[in-house]
Amino acid sequence: MTERSDVTLTIDGRPVTVPRGTTVWQAARQAGIDIPIFCYHDRMPPLGACRQCLVRVEKNPRWQTSCTLLAEEGMVVHASTPEVRAAQERNLEFLLINHPLDCPICDKGGECPLQDQTFAYGPGRSRFVETKRDFAKPVSLGPILVLDRERCILCWRCVRFGEIIAGDEALKGFERGFATEINTPFTAPVRSKFIGNTISICPVGALTSRTYRFRARPWDTTPVPSVCNHCGLGCALWLDVRDRTVVRVRAREVPDLNDIWLCDLGQFGFSWLHARDRLTRPLVRRDGRLQEASWEEALVLVAERLRAARRDGPGRVAVLGGTRLTNEDNFLLRRFFREVVGTPHIDHRIDARPGSASLEVAWGLRTPLPAISQSDLLLLVGCDITEEYPIAWLRMKQAIDRGAALYSLHSRSLEIRRFARGTLVPTPGAEGVVLSQAAAAVSGAAPDGAVLREVGVDPAVVEALAAELRAARAPMVFLGKSALEGLAGRAVLRAAQYLQAAGCTVQVMRGKGNAIGAALMGVLPAPGGWSAPEIIRQAGSGALQVLYVLGGDPATEVADGRAWEAARARTPFLVVHDLFLTETARQADVVLPALAFAEKDGTVCNLEGRVQRITAAVRGPGEARSDAAVLAALAARLGVPWAYEGWEDVFAAAAAAVPGLAVGAIITPPPLSGDWPEDYAPPPPSADLVLISGEVLFDLGSMTSRSPAIAELAGPPTVWVHPTDAAARGLTDGALAQLSAGDASLVLRARVTTEVPAGRVFVPRGFDSLPLHRLLSWDRPMPTVSLRAVGGMAAAAAGAEAAP
Amino acid sequence: MPAESILLRFMEGEGTADLEAYLRAGGYAAARHALTALTPEEVIDIVDQSGLRGKGGAGFPTARKWRFIPKGAPLKYVVVNGDEAEPCTFKDHMLLERAPHLLLEGIIIAAYAVGAHKAYVYVRREGYLARERLRQAVAAAYARGFLGRKIFGTGMDLEVVVHSGAGAYIAGEETALLESLEGRRAMPRQRPPFPAVFGLYGKPTVVNNVETLSHLPAVIRLGAEAYRALGPPALFSVSGHVRHPGVYELPLGIPMRQVIAAAGGLRPGRRFKAAFPGGSSSALLTAEHLDVPMDYEPLRAAGSMLGSASLIVMDDTTCIVRVAARAVAFYKEESCGKCTPCREGTYWLSQIFDRILAGGGRIEDLELLAHISRGMSNGACFCLLGESVPPGLEASLRHFRHEYEYHIRTGRCDVEETLAAAVASGA
Repeated sequence: MTERSDVTLTIDGRPVTVPRGTTVWQAARQAGIDIPIFCYHDRMPPLGACRQCLVRVEKNPRWQTSCTLLAEEGMVVHASTPEVRAAQERNLEFLLINHPLDCPICDKGGECPLQDQTFAYGPGRSRFVETKRDFAKPVSLGPILVLDRERCILCWRCVRFGEIIAGDEALKGFERGFATEINTPFTAPVRSKFIGNTISICPVGALTSRTYRFRARPWDTTPVPSVCNHCGLGCALWLDVRDRTVVRVRAREVPDLNDIWLCDLGQFGFSWLHARDRLTRPLVRRDGRLQEASWEEALVLVAERLRAARRDGPGRVAVLGGTRLTNEDNFLLRRFFREVVGTPHIDHRIDARPGSASLEVAWGLRTPLPAISQSDLLLLVGCDITEEYPIAWLRMKQAIDRGAALYSLHSRSLEIRRFARGTLVPTPGAEGVVLSQAAAAVSGAAPDGAVLREVGVDPAVVEALAAELRAARAPMVFLGKSALEGLAGRAVLRAAQYLQAAGCTVQVMRGKGNAIGAALMGVLPAPGGWSAPEIIRQAGSGALQVLYVLGGDPATEVADGRAWEAARARTPFLVVHDLFLTETARQADVVLPALAFAEKDGTVCNLEGRVQRITAAVRGPGEARSDAAVLAALAARLGVPWAYEGWEDVFAAAAAAVPGLAVGAIITPPPLSGDWPEDYAPPPPSADLVLISGEVLFDLGSMTSRSPAIAELAGPPTVWVHPTDAAARGLTDGALAQLSAGDASLVLRARVTTEVPAGRVFVPRGFDSLPLHRLLSWDRPMPTVSLRAVGGMAAAAAGAEAAP
Repeated sequence: MPAESILLRFMEGEGTADLEAYLRAGGYAAARHALTALTPEEVIDIVDQSGLRGKGGAGFPTARKWRFIPKGAPLKYVVVNGDEAEPCTFKDHMLLERAPHLLLEGIIIAAYAVGAHKAYVYVRREGYLARERLRQAVAAAYARGFLGRKIFGTGMDLEVVVHSGAGAYIAGEETALLESLEGRRAMPRQRPPFPAVFGLYGKPTVVNNVETLSHLPAVIRLGAEAYRALGPPALFSVSGHVRHPGVYELPLGIPMRQVIAAAGGLRPGRRFKAAFPGGSSSALLTAEHLDVPMDYEPLRAAGSMLGSASLIVMDDTTCIVRVAARAVAFYKEESCGKCTPCREGTYWLSQIFDRILAGGGRIEDLELLAHISRGMSNGACFCLLGESVPPGLEASLRHFRHEYEYHIRTGRCDVEETLAAAVASGA
């Protein structure tokens, strides 16, 4: 029986029934009939440009492109008659006449649609005796993308990816006709966070990456399924391994998660795995210097100090870390420190401020990612989505294309502002005031124009937002780190809870790597335990004997340089597990070389609470060990031998303790529920520059700085200055500037941009070599600063003006 | 010339670019009449009965196009295609330079008929004077209340925007024009959906040619029957080897021979060799077709088409291989690059022609030219740009194969040699 919305057509004599709206090409595929194609990509609407999928439809004298033709009742289609084959062959001949056929040296060889289709449908010989179109090659389109123009068959997939999927319009067609080529606007380096996807969907070898170019061919590599450990969305990956080395990262198709896409950090931020300065042996401080030691020596020392601390009473040991660990590592971490060492002071939220709203709410998405595409109103509060969770932006873009309204409430404007129906840029720290006004307006109260204007916001936009919130069917609010960590965090939570009561889904966009898994496994303060900032404070007053840090770098992540310095200075023994000699590791007494995600088996959780498997793809360097193995060895030394055979045993034990824990399950955090006071007044307007800081996708952390493509994208540390403020200080784009607060100062490059309003400067976090935390303190997360030009450039310019 | 010219009289002499001159010639009376005395449906009916068809090349019945516009749509547009860039077509250009108010009056009538309140006129980049005259005409019409709010004192508002093209032939294709107007690279869009449903900025849009709209005042003024009785009339762009190339207003259906005569006939002592009846996209016709009526159906029956009524006349001094090569070179330059057969086919054809004309032809090239042409025909290309190549090319191969063969065999041109011999013997 066919539904009324179905149509039945005949393709190559075979009847096919498909839903109305299906294209002939899709119908053929459903029937197992292969029609060659290049420009069509099933994540984008059909284009009909390559003309490869031509078919004959009875009673129609003209060729039809099966990718654009909708199936109709009774349609009779011929897709493989000799006449149709001849047309497909003619078209392939057209595509090939100017294609260089340099397959032996092309990265795409072996996974190339043009190669495959030519094998299946192409002419055996060419009648082309003219000179092939030639281009100088290759063209570098930024730190990642490389274009070999003569290979391009102009399918427009990459251009349309930027227009339709990512919204960044990174690539465009230039020139006309046979001279058409793909390039970036103004031939500037690609501006995109998603450009790696254009390489994946390129049907030829025209777009390749610098990281993989000439490294391997598909038959050389073994793909191993894994999960990205960067932002917290946990995108599914393939790690392509050759000779015990990950040579390429590709998206692993999971439609409900990252689908077939990755951001460039996920796709190209992996070279650190094989960095030469990975830690390979334990380090022990002797005579004031960290020196290589055996595992035996290091473990004996650590066990001894832990035992001593345990003897002196509970709570003399504290633990920071967990976001880079697997669930199994985290489960053992909790067991070891709670049960064996006996301390309640455990927390993975190293970058939180004391008393911040982040510490009072469960992190994560309250809906699976695809629900974002179905939302009709997206409100970003202090959430710089493309910098923090780029793949979630692709879902938002889908929602916007379906008519959803996007609003942002942020202390600077976002790169996606052109998609926003309303942009609210309040005084830093006033997000709570604005959100409270919006929440009140949803329930009918008129927003207080005077209050809003005082914090630099147009009341009309707040009213429009409130009206849309009232009318929306599935509104979502995304609370980001900068809103939750700011002084207004609790007011933001209070207002968000109002909105939640009015039907909004409130998403807490917080946590990198496996932060959600760490929380699920209980890497959180036990009753009576201290949160991460409290641990650091207590350590600074000498309360601890041992501070144990796993896969974290508080020396750079804690937004109060002095607090960390005191903690380190007053704690006698600091143990660090890490991959690299981070700033914190440099200060440690024992450093233990750990394994990275690609070297371990186990599970991790993403921001949705989705439990995913990761598989060891390569061996770790030297003597590096997994965190779980180290903890098990220490437990044995402290008299509690564990009997776990492998990750499965640990996972089973964890599953017994954590309801719902199963591979593939999604453990959704509960809705907001708290009693948050409206205890916050907006900051007074400041005549000085206010420093705001936040996450960016491409930074120079311990991993990113060791991934050359990402490091190049990140560039040097910058301070973003509004043109007015820059001009007043004689600063030009790229010039060196000195940023000072109190007696601390930094020298960095000015980036002159209207993305920050006048009166504010923005400094991206995550540039480990830049001690930004020295300018910050927990009491003053947004200090007033002074900024001036330094170095010869300003002086030279002044001198030049004076010259006759 | 017909008893009453309906377009040419506004263009002759000083023309009617000046609003006062246009008003003295009876201008804007038809639009005023339509808005004050006729319903939109009545206007469409009159246009329907008049038989007016699109003058841009496709010849689609104008009223039928208008009826595709959804009635209830809150926002609709009229877009005027003034990108006239077909080789040897220049009637729209002349209309814009010399009778821009005729177009504006037509826009008012069309906008009233379909219920649009905003019109865009997309004028070819190279039409500097045309654009300037049109801009001045728009300003004058606004000043007199013929455009803007409550025109002619009725409830109708109409805004007209003049937009300059960016120099691409493809922008004359209506969907590519819309892309260009929206600020993107001019490349054709997939149809369906047609512009009448999903046009400019995704709104229902009627796209009409400059000449098409310029006919409307006469259609309304004369009524459908009187207008039809004039032929109906059309502007012919006559060029090539005639004594007086130019724009001629003649009734549709007039034999080709008479169009040539209207343009002063051939140059003395020359014989007719071939002609494109509808621009370089139409198939070549030869002397046996001289009495074919210049109208849609008869030309189609003759294997060609009326297109934009651009008659390109070639006498016996013309090398057809060079003509075909020139046409192919044009399409190669103007291919937008979107689809494979047009982009690659025009390039390949052009390379083969260059080789033949340089003396490097091979006899198998004739089959190869036909083969490539087949790969660009019958819907193989995305739009009509690429599909414009095969008719002229195939007709040249069919009617003048011996000229190709001579070029290939000898590396020389028989037309040139014949002319040289005639000059030598005459001297």
